[in-house]
Amino acid sequence: MFEVYSMIDFVNELFTMKLRILFWVLISALFASCAPTRVVAPLEKGVTQIGVTLGRPRVNDGSLPLVGIYFAKGLSDVKTFYAGAQLTSLYLGTIQLDGGVVKKIIAPNIMIPGVSWSYGANSFISSRDGAFRLYPETGVNAYWKIGPHILNISANTWVDPTWFLSDYNKGRILSPSFGAGYRFRYKWIELQAEYKLLNPTREMHIPQAYIPSTNGLGGKGWYWGAALNF
Amino acid sequence: MMKKILILASLSLLTSCLDISAVMLYGGPGEYNFTNASLDAIDHVDESKIHRLQTFSDQDTIEILYIGDYSQIESDTIILFLHGNVPSMDSYWSTIAHIANLGEQHRYGVMMYDYRGYGKSTGTSTDETSLASDYESVMSWLKDQGLESDRLIVFANSIGSLTAGPAAAGGSLIPIEKLIMEVPQSSSAIIMQSSTGLSLPSSMLTIFEFDLAVDMSNYPAELLWMHGELDATAPFNDAASAMRSHEGSYFEEAIYPSAGHGLRWDIGNEEWDRVLLNFILK
Repeated sequence: MFEVYSMIDFVNELFTMKLRILFWVLISALFASCAPTRVVAPLEKGVTQIGVTLGRPRVNDGSLPLVGIYFAKGLSDVKTFYAGAQLTSLYLGTIQLDGGVVKKIIAPNIMIPGVSWSYGANSFISSRDGAFRLYPETGVNAYWKIGPHILNISANTWVDPTWFLSDYNKGRILSPSFGAGYRFRYKWIELQAEYKLLNPTREMHIPQAYIPSTNGLGGKGWYWGAALNF
Repeated sequence: MMKKILILASLSLLTSCLDISAVMLYGGPGEYNFTNASLDAIDHVDESKIHRLQTFSDQDTIEILYIGDYSQIESDTIILFLHGNVPSMDSYWSTIAHIANLGEQHRYGVMMYDYRGYGKSTGTSTDETSLASDYESVMSWLKDQGLESDRLIVFANSIGSLTAGPAAAGGSLIPIEKLIMEVPQSSSAIIMQSSTGLSLPSSMLTIFEFDLAVDMSNYPAELLWMHGELDATAPFNDAASAMRSHEGSYFEEAIYPSAGHGLRWDIGNEEWDRVLLNFILK
């Protein structure tokens, strides 16, 4: 009888855990790296790009829906400014904004990939109590541009200057991510797909949920984007 | 500058009121079929000692289950069990029946209740305020029946620790002198930070802030902490940081390397009973 009841209780607990998973999944809506790399290959001078992004870091058997919007403008042929906002965070009461610059370091040719360097920052403001966090970020992209096709590999890291505010000394200064992607940029349209490894230097943990990881570290998932160029 | 402020203000207006505590503290239906039919023979209770009653917390009705004689409350040890995050106290029926029979049958009076929105308790649990109000209404009833501090044991399982922590730290109408924390949570901030990898405060997603480390550091009396190292629901290391903040009169921990969140099932009744009885009778 005890064994039977134990099983009933266990099944009940599993059922309950599924109900609760929504909570833990919502918590992770503020993952570092919520969108594809904003700009890989700098835009031409004067070109404006507006886009929507969908981050899909994996949790359990599914993926999170992290929706964002962004704006980018070619300040020169080698420098592009970008700014974005995360709508999913907004829905949960946090204003999450990012902005920065991407600079072309090496122009691509057939044999040599182009290299761009990005730097910027991400800010979080709680609509509940006004709590504020700012995370500078920097990254480097190598990209191959063949007609309308752009292939890239990217490395990026967020810097947490307030790591010491984490409970139980669990803060980390760097939150890196690595990505490989493809972009189709043709006239006024750009489509983006990128696979990212998030925070592969530390264990990520969402109670009652499972984060597919790399050797037990970080998270990962597909990131998508669509943009218009003017 | 003004333009930037206007943009920020506009985004503030767009923010939703969705607070994830409403998802976290969301109960479900309860049947309240509290009979021996679903219990193992060793956990059977005298069905005449099974009582259901209600109290009121603000405008809401709190459903209570009590196993024992009412007369026990003014003279005997009473264990108040704060259940984990399940739809209703149905899921813990076997647990409190088992606790009622710790050592011998009906050795202790045991009480459990459903938080607002759980089971047949009305309303919605929102944060520490609603949890504290529910607890207070039950404690008030127990006090009226004659329960005193030296005969009260509070036993919190999992998310029940979010009620027990502030209560132990001075928020209990009847001061707690013996507290059992079984697979407790830790802090709302650490859950946020472990999930995101960033030093974000929990206020980014919820008004519900809890920190059991602070609560335990403010709890002066006796604490038993039981936890499994494989617990993925209430991570062991986080709970350890919180529970080991306790500096009260007595601290005991029972740690199990191969156990998870279902501690009693993982370690077995014999060990579970042994640790509890040692602490209760100490």
